[in-house]
Amino acid sequence: MIRPYLARLARELDFDPSLSRQVVQEVEDHLREAIERDPVADRLEAERRAVARFGDPRAIAAQFAVVSLAALARRVGLAAVLLIAAVFIAMKARLAWYGVVPFPLAEEARALGEMVLAIDRWAFWLAVLAGLAGWVYIGVRRTPGGFTREYSAQLRHFSLLCSAAAAALVVCVAADGVLTSLRLIAAQWSIASLVPLISVAIEIACAAVLVSRLRAMARHAARTARLAPAA
Amino acid sequence: MLKGHLDMIVLAALAPGPAHGYAVIEEIKRRSAGAFDLPEGTIYPVLHRLEQAGLLAGRWMTADSGRRRRVYELTRRGEHALAERRAVWEQFSDAIGSLFRGSRTGKRPA
Repeated sequence: MIRPYLARLARELDFDPSLSRQVVQEVEDHLREAIERDPVADRLEAERRAVARFGDPRAIAAQFAVVSLAALARRVGLAAVLLIAAVFIAMKARLAWYGVVPFPLAEEARALGEMVLAIDRWAFWLAVLAGLAGWVYIGVRRTPGGFTREYSAQLRHFSLLCSAAAAALVVCVAADGVLTSLRLIAAQWSIASLVPLISVAIEIACAAVLVSRLRAMARHAARTARLAPAA
Repeated sequence: MLKGHLDMIVLAALAPGPAHGYAVIEEIKRRSAGAFDLPEGTIYPVLHRLEQAGLLAGRWMTADSGRRRRVYELTRRGEHALAERRAVWEQFSDAIGSLFRGSRTGKRPA
Protein backbone atom coordinates (compact mmCIF):
# COMPACT_ATOMS: atom_id res chain seq x y z
CA MET A 1 0.00 0.00 0.00
CA ILE A 2 2.94 2.34 0.73
CA ARG A 3 4.67 1.79 -2.64
CA PRO A 4 1.64 2.66 -4.83
CA TYR A 5 0.95 5.70 -2.64
CA LEU A 6 4.54 6.95 -2.99
CA ALA A 7 4.48 6.24 -6.74
CA ARG A 8 1.33 8.35 -7.08
CA LEU A 9 2.85 11.15 -5.02
CA ALA A 10 5.98 11.05 -7.24
CA ARG A 11 3.77 11.27 -10.34
CA GLU A 12 1.89 14.28 -8.95
CA LEU A 13 5.23 15.96 -8.13
CA ASP A 14 6.77 15.29 -11.55
CA PHE A 15 6.90 19.05 -12.29
CA ASP A 16 10.05 19.20 -10.10
CA PRO A 17 12.06 15.93 -10.20
CA SER A 18 14.58 16.86 -7.48
CA LEU A 19 11.83 18.05 -5.12
CA SER A 20 9.87 14.90 -5.93
CA ARG A 21 12.80 12.63 -4.94
CA GLN A 22 13.33 14.50 -1.66
CA VAL A 23 9.65 14.62 -0.71
CA VAL A 24 9.07 10.94 -1.55
CA GLN A 25 12.01 9.95 0.66
CA GLU A 26 10.71 12.13 3.50
CA VAL A 27 7.17 10.82 3.17
CA GLU A 28 8.36 7.20 3.06
CA ASP A 29 10.21 7.74 6.35
CA HIS A 30 7.06 9.33 7.81
CA LEU A 31 4.76 6.51 6.73
CA ARG A 32 7.11 3.75 7.94
CA GLU A 33 7.43 5.48 11.31
CA ALA A 34 3.63 5.85 11.54
CA ILE A 35 3.18 2.13 10.78
CA GLU A 36 5.79 1.09 13.37
CA ARG A 37 4.09 3.21 16.03
CA ASP A 38 0.55 2.12 15.19
CA PRO A 39 -0.71 -0.17 17.98
CA VAL A 40 -2.89 -2.16 15.57
CA ALA A 41 -1.50 -5.69 14.99
CA ASP A 42 -2.61 -6.01 11.37
CA ARG A 43 0.20 -4.55 9.23
CA LEU A 44 -2.01 -3.92 6.22
CA GLU A 45 -4.51 -2.06 8.37
CA ALA A 46 -1.68 0.03 9.85
CA GLU A 47 -0.50 0.89 6.32
CA ARG A 48 -4.03 1.81 5.25
CA ARG A 49 -4.43 4.08 8.27
CA ALA A 50 -1.05 5.76 7.78
CA VAL A 51 -1.83 6.52 4.13
CA ALA A 52 -5.35 7.78 4.97
CA ARG A 53 -3.99 10.08 7.69
CA PHE A 54 -1.37 11.47 5.33
CA GLY A 55 -3.94 12.77 2.84
CA ASP A 56 -4.56 13.04 -0.89
CA PRO A 57 -1.29 13.08 -2.91
CA ARG A 58 -2.76 15.57 -5.38
CA ALA A 59 -3.67 18.07 -2.64
CA ILE A 60 -0.17 17.72 -1.14
CA ALA A 61 1.45 18.13 -4.56
CA ALA A 62 -0.62 21.29 -5.15
CA GLN A 63 0.88 22.83 -2.00
CA PHE A 64 4.38 21.78 -3.06
CA ALA A 65 3.78 23.26 -6.52
CA VAL A 66 3.49 26.72 -4.98
CA VAL A 67 6.71 26.22 -2.98
CA SER A 68 8.53 24.98 -6.09
CA LEU A 69 7.25 27.82 -8.32
CA ALA A 70 8.18 30.43 -5.71
CA ALA A 71 11.73 29.05 -5.45
CA LEU A 72 12.09 28.97 -9.23
CA ALA A 73 10.74 32.53 -9.61
CA ARG A 74 13.25 33.81 -7.03
CA ARG A 75 16.09 32.05 -8.85
CA VAL A 76 14.97 33.52 -12.20
CA GLY A 77 14.74 37.01 -10.65
CA LEU A 78 18.28 36.75 -9.31
CA ALA A 79 19.54 35.26 -12.59
CA ALA A 80 18.03 38.20 -14.52
CA VAL A 81 19.91 40.72 -12.39
CA LEU A 82 23.21 38.78 -12.55
CA LEU A 83 22.97 38.24 -16.32
CA ILE A 84 22.24 41.92 -16.95
CA ALA A 85 25.25 42.77 -14.77
CA ALA A 86 27.37 40.34 -16.81
CA VAL A 87 26.27 42.05 -20.05
CA PHE A 88 27.23 45.41 -18.53
CA ILE A 89 30.71 44.10 -17.61
CA ALA A 90 31.19 42.69 -21.14
CA MET A 91 30.17 46.07 -22.65
CA LYS A 92 32.52 47.99 -20.35
CA ALA A 93 35.39 45.57 -21.07
CA ARG A 94 34.89 46.08 -24.82
CA LEU A 95 34.85 49.87 -24.44
CA ALA A 96 38.03 49.70 -22.33
CA TRP A 97 39.64 47.59 -25.10
CA TYR A 98 38.70 50.24 -27.69
CA GLY A 99 40.73 52.64 -25.51
CA VAL A 100 43.79 50.40 -25.95
CA VAL A 101 43.21 49.29 -29.56
CA PRO A 102 40.96 51.83 -31.36
CA PHE A 103 38.38 50.49 -33.81
CA PRO A 104 36.96 53.77 -35.20
CA LEU A 105 33.65 53.85 -37.04
CA ALA A 106 33.81 54.60 -40.77
CA GLU A 107 32.55 58.10 -41.63
CA GLU A 108 29.56 56.80 -43.62
CA ALA A 109 28.51 54.52 -40.70
CA ARG A 110 28.65 57.27 -38.06
CA ALA A 111 24.97 58.34 -38.32
CA LEU A 112 23.76 54.73 -38.17
CA GLY A 113 26.16 54.07 -35.27
CA GLU A 114 24.75 56.97 -33.24
CA MET A 115 21.16 55.79 -33.79
CA VAL A 116 22.01 52.22 -32.79
CA LEU A 117 23.93 53.49 -29.76
CA ALA A 118 20.86 55.44 -28.57
CA ILE A 119 18.71 52.30 -28.94
CA ASP A 120 21.41 50.31 -27.12
CA ARG A 121 21.45 52.68 -24.13
CA TRP A 122 17.67 52.90 -23.77
CA ALA A 123 17.29 49.13 -24.11
CA PHE A 124 20.00 48.47 -21.52
CA TRP A 125 18.52 50.82 -18.89
CA LEU A 126 15.06 49.40 -19.54
CA ALA A 127 16.49 45.90 -18.96
CA VAL A 128 18.14 47.08 -15.71
CA LEU A 129 14.95 48.72 -14.41
CA ALA A 130 12.64 45.83 -15.35
CA GLY A 131 15.10 43.19 -14.08
CA LEU A 132 15.64 44.93 -10.73
CA ALA A 133 11.90 45.59 -10.35
CA GLY A 134 11.13 41.90 -11.02
CA TRP A 135 13.78 40.68 -8.57
CA VAL A 136 12.61 43.00 -5.77
CA TYR A 137 8.92 42.34 -6.55
CA ILE A 138 9.20 38.56 -6.17
CA GLY A 139 11.79 38.77 -3.38
CA VAL A 140 9.52 40.64 -0.97
CA ARG A 141 6.43 38.48 -1.63
CA ARG A 142 5.49 35.79 0.93
CA THR A 143 4.86 32.33 -0.50
CA PRO A 144 1.25 31.35 0.29
CA GLY A 145 0.25 27.90 1.57
CA GLY A 146 -1.58 27.07 -1.65
CA PHE A 147 -2.53 28.41 -5.06
CA THR A 148 -4.41 31.67 -4.59
CA ARG A 149 -5.71 34.05 -7.23
CA GLU A 150 -3.56 36.78 -5.71
CA TYR A 151 -0.36 34.72 -5.94
CA SER A 152 -1.12 33.70 -9.55
CA ALA A 153 -1.50 37.40 -10.38
CA GLN A 154 1.81 38.15 -8.63
CA LEU A 155 3.57 35.47 -10.68
CA ARG A 156 2.06 36.92 -13.86
CA HIS A 157 3.32 40.41 -12.95
CA PHE A 158 6.77 38.98 -12.21
CA SER A 159 6.81 37.12 -15.55
CA LEU A 160 5.86 40.33 -17.36
CA LEU A 161 8.67 42.28 -15.68
CA CYS A 162 11.22 39.56 -16.45
CA SER A 163 9.98 39.20 -20.03
CA ALA A 164 10.33 42.98 -20.47
CA ALA A 165 13.87 42.78 -19.05
CA ALA A 166 14.75 39.87 -21.36
CA ALA A 167 13.27 41.56 -24.45
CA ALA A 168 15.14 44.79 -23.68
CA LEU A 169 18.34 42.82 -23.09
CA VAL A 170 17.96 41.04 -26.45
CA VAL A 171 17.54 44.43 -28.20
CA CYS A 172 20.56 45.79 -26.30
CA VAL A 173 22.73 42.80 -27.26
CA ALA A 174 21.56 42.99 -30.88
CA ALA A 175 22.48 46.69 -30.93
CA ASP A 176 25.89 45.86 -29.45
CA GLY A 177 26.32 43.26 -32.18
CA VAL A 178 25.54 45.84 -34.89
CA LEU A 179 27.87 48.46 -33.34
CA THR A 180 30.70 45.95 -33.00
CA SER A 181 30.22 44.77 -36.60
CA LEU A 182 30.35 48.37 -37.87
CA ARG A 183 33.67 48.92 -36.06
CA LEU A 184 35.20 45.59 -37.12
CA ILE A 185 34.16 45.98 -40.76
CA ALA A 186 35.93 49.34 -40.92
CA ALA A 187 39.16 47.92 -39.43
CA GLN A 188 41.75 45.45 -40.66
CA TRP A 189 41.28 41.95 -39.23
CA SER A 190 43.77 41.23 -36.43
CA ILE A 191 44.04 39.16 -33.29
CA ALA A 192 42.89 42.29 -31.38
CA SER A 193 39.48 41.90 -33.07
CA LEU A 194 38.90 38.78 -30.97
CA VAL A 195 38.27 40.78 -27.79
CA PRO A 196 35.17 42.65 -29.12
CA LEU A 197 33.94 39.43 -30.74
CA ILE A 198 34.30 37.44 -27.51
CA SER A 199 32.59 40.19 -25.49
CA VAL A 200 29.62 40.18 -27.88
CA ALA A 201 29.53 36.36 -27.70
CA ILE A 202 29.36 36.62 -23.89
CA GLU A 203 26.47 39.09 -24.18
CA ILE A 204 24.60 36.80 -26.59
CA ALA A 205 25.12 33.86 -24.21
CA CYS A 206 23.78 35.91 -21.24
CA ALA A 207 20.66 36.96 -23.16
CA ALA A 208 20.12 33.37 -24.35
CA VAL A 209 20.42 32.01 -20.80
CA LEU A 210 17.88 34.55 -19.52
CA VAL A 211 15.41 33.71 -22.27
CA SER A 212 15.85 29.97 -21.64
CA ARG A 213 15.34 30.46 -17.85
CA LEU A 214 12.11 32.33 -18.57
CA ARG A 215 10.92 29.60 -20.93
CA ALA A 216 11.74 26.97 -18.30
CA MET A 217 9.69 28.92 -15.74
CA ALA A 218 6.77 29.15 -18.16
CA ARG A 219 6.94 25.36 -18.77
CA HIS A 220 7.12 24.74 -15.01
CA ALA A 221 4.08 26.98 -14.41
CA ALA A 222 2.16 25.16 -17.15
CA ARG A 223 2.96 21.76 -15.59
CA THR A 224 1.79 22.91 -12.14
CA ALA A 225 -1.35 24.62 -13.49
CA ARG A 226 -3.23 21.28 -13.53
CA LEU A 227 -2.86 21.20 -9.72
CA ALA A 228 -4.37 24.65 -9.17
CA PRO A 229 -8.01 24.62 -8.10
CA ALA A 230 -10.42 25.75 -10.82
CA ALA A 231 -11.31 29.46 -10.55
CA MET B 1 -8.97 29.11 10.67
CA LEU B 2 -6.20 26.63 11.51
CA LYS B 3 -4.76 26.98 7.98
CA GLY B 4 -3.96 30.65 8.53
CA HIS B 5 -1.86 29.82 11.59
CA LEU B 6 -0.04 26.72 10.34
CA ASP B 7 3.29 28.53 10.04
CA MET B 8 3.13 29.67 13.66
CA ILE B 9 2.02 26.23 14.84
CA VAL B 10 4.91 24.49 13.06
CA LEU B 11 7.45 27.05 14.30
CA ALA B 12 6.14 26.61 17.86
CA ALA B 13 6.36 22.81 17.56
CA LEU B 14 10.03 23.14 16.59
CA ALA B 15 10.86 25.59 19.39
CA PRO B 16 12.04 22.86 21.82
CA GLY B 17 14.63 21.59 19.32
CA PRO B 18 15.29 19.87 15.97
CA ALA B 19 12.72 17.30 14.82
CA HIS B 20 11.65 15.39 11.71
CA GLY B 21 8.21 15.76 10.10
CA TYR B 22 6.54 12.89 11.96
CA ALA B 23 7.82 14.20 15.32
CA VAL B 24 6.58 17.72 14.49
CA ILE B 25 3.07 16.36 13.84
CA GLU B 26 3.13 14.32 17.07
CA GLU B 27 4.31 17.39 19.01
CA ILE B 28 1.47 19.49 17.56
CA LYS B 29 -1.08 16.80 18.51
CA ARG B 30 0.39 16.39 21.99
CA ARG B 31 0.66 20.09 22.83
CA SER B 32 -2.80 20.90 21.45
CA ALA B 33 -4.23 17.89 23.36
CA GLY B 34 -5.43 16.44 20.04
CA ALA B 35 -7.28 19.62 19.01
CA PHE B 36 -5.04 20.13 15.97
CA ASP B 37 -5.38 16.80 14.16
CA LEU B 38 -4.37 17.86 10.64
CA PRO B 39 -4.01 15.68 7.54
CA GLU B 40 -0.37 14.78 8.16
CA GLY B 41 0.74 15.50 4.59
CA THR B 42 -0.09 19.20 4.93
CA ILE B 43 2.83 19.73 7.31
CA TYR B 44 5.54 18.88 4.76
CA PRO B 45 4.82 21.72 2.28
CA VAL B 46 4.79 24.08 5.28
CA LEU B 47 8.20 22.78 6.44
CA HIS B 48 9.63 23.26 2.93
CA ARG B 49 8.10 26.74 2.59
CA LEU B 50 9.48 27.85 5.97
CA GLU B 51 12.88 26.45 5.03
CA GLN B 52 12.76 28.39 1.75
CA ALA B 53 11.89 31.55 3.71
CA GLY B 54 14.98 31.01 5.89
CA LEU B 55 12.96 30.40 9.08
CA LEU B 56 13.95 26.72 9.26
CA ALA B 57 17.09 24.81 8.35
CA GLY B 58 16.74 21.22 7.17
CA ARG B 59 19.39 18.49 7.02
CA TRP B 60 19.44 14.80 6.16
CA MET B 61 20.53 12.29 8.79
CA THR B 62 20.33 8.55 9.31
CA ALA B 63 17.81 7.43 11.95
CA ASP B 64 18.40 4.52 14.37
CA SER B 65 16.19 2.45 12.06
CA GLY B 66 18.74 3.05 9.27
CA ARG B 67 16.30 5.14 7.25
CA ARG B 68 17.31 8.50 5.76
CA ARG B 69 15.44 11.24 7.58
CA ARG B 70 15.17 14.99 7.15
CA VAL B 71 15.41 16.95 10.38
CA TYR B 72 14.36 20.59 10.72
CA GLU B 73 15.33 23.23 13.24
CA LEU B 74 14.57 26.90 13.81
CA THR B 75 17.10 29.37 12.45
CA ARG B 76 17.83 32.66 14.23
CA ARG B 77 15.32 34.31 11.86
CA GLY B 78 12.81 31.59 12.69
CA GLU B 79 13.21 32.25 16.43
CA HIS B 80 12.61 35.97 15.87
CA ALA B 81 9.59 35.27 13.65
CA LEU B 82 8.12 32.94 16.28
CA ALA B 83 8.65 35.51 19.06
CA GLU B 84 6.96 38.21 16.94
CA ARG B 85 4.00 36.01 16.05
CA ARG B 86 3.63 34.90 19.66
CA ALA B 87 3.50 38.54 20.83
CA VAL B 88 0.90 39.45 18.19
CA TRP B 89 -1.16 36.36 19.04
CA GLU B 90 -1.08 37.07 22.78
CA GLN B 91 -2.16 40.65 22.18
CA PHE B 92 -5.02 39.47 19.95
CA SER B 93 -6.01 36.73 22.39
CA ASP B 94 -6.06 39.19 25.34
CA ALA B 95 -8.20 41.62 23.35
CA ILE B 96 -10.73 38.93 22.36
CA GLY B 97 -10.72 37.61 25.96
CA SER B 98 -11.53 41.09 27.25
CA LEU B 99 -14.35 41.43 24.71
CA PHE B 100 -15.86 38.11 25.76
CA ARG B 101 -15.55 38.92 29.46
CA GLY B 102 -17.34 42.22 28.78
CA SER B 103 -20.17 40.49 26.93
CA ARG B 104 -20.61 37.95 29.77
CA THR B 105 -21.32 40.70 32.35
CA GLY B 106 -23.99 42.06 30.02
CA LYS B 107 -22.76 45.65 30.32
CA ARG B 108 -23.55 47.83 27.31
CA PRO B 109 -20.98 50.36 26.15
CA ALA B 110 -21.89 53.95 26.98
